[in-house]
Amino acid sequence: MSAITAPLRRSRPTPETTASVQLRVVDEPVVRHTLAYAVVMVLVLAAAVFGAVSLNALAAGASVEARALEAQVDVAEREYARLIAEVATLEDPARVRAAAEELGMVAPGPVRHLTLERNLSGDGAAPIGRTSDAATDPLKPLLSVEH
Amino acid sequence: MLRVRARASRGATLVSGDDLAIRRIRWTLAIFAVLVLASTVKLVQIQVVDAADLAAVGERQRARTLELPASRGRIYDRDGDVLATSVQAATIYADPRAYRGTHTPEGREVPPAAETPVVADALAPLLGIDAASIQQRLEQDRHFVYLARQVDHELGAQIRALELPGIGVLTEPQRVYPAGSLAGQVVGFTDIDAEGLQGLEARYEHVLAGQPGTLLLERAPGGLDIASGIRELEPPVVGTDVVLTLDRDIQHVAELAAAGATERFDAVGASIVVAEVGTGDVLAMASAPSFDPNDRGDEDPSDRRNRAVTDVFEPGSTQKALTIAAALEEGVITPTTTLEVDGAIRVGGSTFTDAVRHPTERWSVNQIMERSSNVGTIQIAQALGDEQLDSYLRRFGYGRPTQLGFPGESGGLLLPHTEWWGTSLPTIAIGHGVAVSLIQLANSYATLANDGVAVAPRLVLGSVGDDGRLAPVPAPETERIVSAATADAVRAMLEDAVHGDHGTGSLAQVDGFRVAGKTGTARKPLVDGRGYSNEYIATFVGMAPAHDPQVVVAVMIDEPQPIYGGLTAAPVFAEVMEAALLALRVPPDGAGVDLPTAVRLATEHAASVDAQAAVAAADEVAEVVEAGQQDAPQDPGTDDPP
Repeated sequence: MSAITAPLRRSRPTPETTASVQLRVVDEPVVRHTLAYAVVMVLVLAAAVFGAVSLNALAAGASVEARALEAQVDVAEREYARLIAEVATLEDPARVRAAAEELGMVAPGPVRHLTLERNLSGDGAAPIGRTSDAATDPLKPLLSVEH
Repeated sequence: MLRVRARASRGATLVSGDDLAIRRIRWTLAIFAVLVLASTVKLVQIQVVDAADLAAVGERQRARTLELPASRGRIYDRDGDVLATSVQAATIYADPRAYRGTHTPEGREVPPAAETPVVADALAPLLGIDAASIQQRLEQDRHFVYLARQVDHELGAQIRALELPGIGVLTEPQRVYPAGSLAGQVVGFTDIDAEGLQGLEARYEHVLAGQPGTLLLERAPGGLDIASGIRELEPPVVGTDVVLTLDRDIQHVAELAAAGATERFDAVGASIVVAEVGTGDVLAMASAPSFDPNDRGDEDPSDRRNRAVTDVFEPGSTQKALTIAAALEEGVITPTTTLEVDGAIRVGGSTFTDAVRHPTERWSVNQIMERSSNVGTIQIAQALGDEQLDSYLRRFGYGRPTQLGFPGESGGLLLPHTEWWGTSLPTIAIGHGVAVSLIQLANSYATLANDGVAVAPRLVLGSVGDDGRLAPVPAPETERIVSAATADAVRAMLEDAVHGDHGTGSLAQVDGFRVAGKTGTARKPLVDGRGYSNEYIATFVGMAPAHDPQVVVAVMIDEPQPIYGGLTAAPVFAEVMEAALLALRVPPDGAGVDLPTAVRLATEHAASVDAQAAVAAADEVAEVVEAGQQDAPQDPGTDDPP
């Protein structure tokens, strides 16, 4: 690689000077250091490569972490679905009945409705009607249509 | 500086240095222009002409699109208890190419990755499949074979950990029914690819299925995913959960009762429908024999049918309530009207008799219903006329499917009155020559229970919205069929049919409640439709509490022994109705018992249970002793039937 020198400047020839070229003062050619330029360029390139690789590594790391999180979500969702099915299986009336009978329990006798001679003090305290446990069970949808 | 260039024709020419440079620049520009032009042409060809094909090739080479299956919606009962859900299961597959030797493009031989007997022996105990069968699949000339589908996820993890060459594990959703056979015929089932095949799974396939998503990944030449590469996710749309009107506890009781009745009365089958009055909600719909949708394959395909909806039968005497309601509504009779009822009546060349022979009696309409008199009902129907009877039966829901929309639902059979012949009116009036499904019969009685207003039955309450709350379906259609006074009068007659001295449905009584209902016993038509067989259908339909009905229960038993609805279907009705009233916490309207009586009855029951337990224990001891007497001769006389 050769040093780069400034181009020679020529003044526009005037009518008076066309016949002969006059001597004039020119600037000293600027000496450029090839080695320094090369080092700078290498450094810039190295920095660019390092930056690109670093960014790529960061992106890859984030991607791996995201996939690990997705895998955790998948595991949790799979476990949630399995637990829902297991709870429903355990609550199956036929299973509960069989388990109760295995424990020596028997089906209750006919339901008898008592006729009370007077009202009890607690009468009317509890609402009459069916209550649903769905509202307190996190595994069940909210079946109330009230928002 | 001057240069001299010789030319053959024109002699020497002087060319200055600047001209030479300019000329070279021009040449360079020309060459560059040609190159740019060529590049542009190629660019246009790549980017425009061949763009689509090249893009596809590139995508195939580096991108991989995975289909993400949508999770199928759950099916809940009316209290949010799960009847059907999906879990993640493992599917084991093999690539048989891994077990075949091959050659590289250079001609070098590549040995198989593993020997099929080794792989088969490793998998056989885990999959529970014969090793020879696995080996046979591994040696097929294919790229992909299933070894086991939808096995336990943990088992899939075990197999994956073995790192067997050519063996892969996929994750796919599996439909499960946690309550087993509970409501199996109503809920239905899906195929192995989670597509609804039967029941509500098929009916609401478009709601439950959801939309699958896609995941686009970029992969390296080796096939591995590039961590920082393209990753475009279009998430699947989860299927919508559906909430049914069924009540799991009442459904369980109804199924137990249906199965018990089938066994106790040596019947072919039994169906039971429990409906809530005023809403059209079907609380239970049971049929026996039943099946477990988790374990299909061995059962009779007919066991999968929801007979309460798909099968029809002649309603028999249960029809009389509708005939009388129509006559009351039309003013042909009043509740106090009395008729002279003979033991038999001849119409259209045929003689119709009452079940119990009797001399000519003067009975009120109430007594006709209580005694289930065929003759009296036919007399009322004759006064009503063909057209009116036909019209009212259709308005009560006969001859057309309900609005359940259940797959395979039958609309029953009721010929237009213009096609009736001489004996059609009397036979149809008493529930013959007409066919209904059990849901149609239950709904016609629900109309009487609802003060004469028909409400279309429904099996679905709604769906679960994104907020986890119930999004109810529109309220079912309603239509007034008869006046409240007519319905009230018919209910009073039906109450006498259960509680009256001559009522045929006394076994349908429920302690603490007044019950209104009607028995039915009808011969089954022959298969070819010509005449009747010697087999019977026994039915009972009723409601309680009689003065403010909350629940309607309909019971049908196919070929019971004994044949009578009052002896077979009525007690089954009582069993189910009692459980339904208890589950719904309906206050009793009948006479209760005082505390001492209740204590006495409870004590008697406990003693009875203790006695049964003692007998059971004695039987167990006897069996043990009998088993010990190996050489003793067996006495056939001791093998008493249970």
